[in-house]
Amino acid sequence: MRDSDRKNSGLFVLARNILRAFSPKRSSFGMGIRLIAFNPARLLAAFAGIAVAVAVMFVELGLLTGLLNSQALMASVVRGELVVLSEARTDLHKWNDLSRIRLNQIAAADGVERVIPMYQGNMGLSDPDTNTVRRILVIAFPPEDLPIAIGDPEEIARALRTPNTILFDRRSRPIYADLVLGGEAEINDLSYRVGGFVDLGPDVIHDGVIVMSDASYFARFPAARPIMGVIRLSPGANPDEVRANLVASLPDDVSVFTPDELHQREISFTLRSAPLGFLFGIGMFAGLVIGAITCYQILFNEIVDRLKQYATLKAMGFSEGFLRGLIVEQALVLACGGFAGGLFFAWICYAYIAEKTALAVQLSLESVTLILVLAIVMCIAAGLLALRRVSTADPAELY
Amino acid sequence: MAVMDPHIEVPSTGSAGEAVVVARGVEYAFGSEANLKPILKSVDFTLEPGEFVILTGPSGAGKTTLMTLIGALRTTQKGSIKVLGTELLGLSAVGQRDIRRQLGFIFQDHNLFDALTAFQTLRLAMELIEPRPSYNEALDRARAIMTPLGMGDYLHSLPGQLSTGQKQRVAIARGLVNMPALILADEPTASLDQGSAGAVIDIIRERVTQSRTAALMVTHDVRLFDVADRVVRMEDGRVADAA
Repeated sequence: MRDSDRKNSGLFVLARNILRAFSPKRSSFGMGIRLIAFNPARLLAAFAGIAVAVAVMFVELGLLTGLLNSQALMASVVRGELVVLSEARTDLHKWNDLSRIRLNQIAAADGVERVIPMYQGNMGLSDPDTNTVRRILVIAFPPEDLPIAIGDPEEIARALRTPNTILFDRRSRPIYADLVLGGEAEINDLSYRVGGFVDLGPDVIHDGVIVMSDASYFARFPAARPIMGVIRLSPGANPDEVRANLVASLPDDVSVFTPDELHQREISFTLRSAPLGFLFGIGMFAGLVIGAITCYQILFNEIVDRLKQYATLKAMGFSEGFLRGLIVEQALVLACGGFAGGLFFAWICYAYIAEKTALAVQLSLESVTLILVLAIVMCIAAGLLALRRVSTADPAELY
Repeated sequence: MAVMDPHIEVPSTGSAGEAVVVARGVEYAFGSEANLKPILKSVDFTLEPGEFVILTGPSGAGKTTLMTLIGALRTTQKGSIKVLGTELLGLSAVGQRDIRRQLGFIFQDHNLFDALTAFQTLRLAMELIEPRPSYNEALDRARAIMTPLGMGDYLHSLPGQLSTGQKQRVAIARGLVNMPALILADEPTASLDQGSAGAVIDIIRERVTQSRTAALMVTHDVRLFDVADRVVRMEDGRVADAA
């Protein structure tokens, strides 16, 4: 690419205009801000319009990440360096079990300190008030060493050592019977003592979770086999090396992952198996378009209202680049103000959605950064489109 | 009579004795090739440094078109126009812009940004000169140009706080603040009362006399004719006579 071509490329022009707009050397620095802020009522209306679009993008992104993270929740709470699953278990909601022999083989491998088996099944939690039974996910493991981070390990271990004791996930959807500490819970027609509460959260399929010791689980399902093994490594062991050794030495009926890999695999599987990315992507795109149109309208009106003034600047010898800088400056003001409002709306929406769905919908640095960048790109693109109107400002018509 | 600040540096208008504007055989037409409407028909015109010329004539005579061509606001179609020694025929858009930066434009409407104070308006105009003045230098310069216009106390006023006449005076100050070698004014006093109009013309006249700046003003106001060095009358796209 020739130098002149590069200097005229869209991205180069955009970057140059942004730099010009905020160049402290420019004595008119802040002029765009003064222009756009001169009519506070219009500015507030503009912020509100863009904030709605930003909030729509936030909500769509939040729902998508909330759903994906909820689906991959188990992978994100693993307390171990590696995880072993049945090779047939292509996602965490498919419950292919593991042979105990495999866990014993892994436990005997170099660099492995221990393997903690996890059991999982669906049971029915009765609500004596409504005489209904609701399906609930039951997770079981040896209480002496927790394979997942769901609360204080010592408290959980102490509670689970008492036979026929369960811990209820307080983030479960509010559709179950009210369980109180020390009270009774009827599960699959058997009575269990409520020994405490844990924090995990539901996913799209399961509304709630109950945790019990492996002993209590075996008492109900004597033939149960683990569906996951959480591998703790010996101090100083290299996870990559241990995994490579395990993969090489074990039959190919098991798969070994790091927790991060498992999390990513689950998200990829969910995105592949359901058009969530597409659906929520469309929603985000709609927000982007709404925001761009709103921003375009505002900047277009701003330009039309001051067309003679812009034409005067052109007559005086100001370059198109200077005018672009002014509009970009105004677009950035709209982007920042709209983003701030949208973030506030989103924060309220997220709290409401999280309360109603119990999904892991939360603002993250990544999502905030992504939406901020999108808002800026959206407003600058709209500003550059509106700029075409400035090009029609003919200074000769001023006479 | 108002007195200009003697500390303001005035740029040269080019080589000594060189005319600021030399137009020869200028023709200009609007419309498509099949339906051309000639506006200027072989116009010859010269403007010397330190000369104040009034361009007058009936509507449609071509005086505004001539002014916009001299001001590099339109592209010259035929003939030759040299402004400050630069030939405008065939000049690029960037070249036209560079010429415009050396001129002082005063329009019939003030065209001020409602969000900018008078000082901010003048400082924006000063962004076109090199080296760019510092804030204090810009303030001194703005004060020096505004005070003789009776606007010294309104430097920090927004257009919404000014009368129509005051706004026009800010616009005039904007046109003069960069000490242009050529002032192009189109009915600059149309919205002013007689007293203000007189003050504005005095300012332009003084600038012309003191700094040998050239000024070309379109006006129908015969009361202003006496101030000009020359009155050029245009009719039907031609220079009819010069007095």
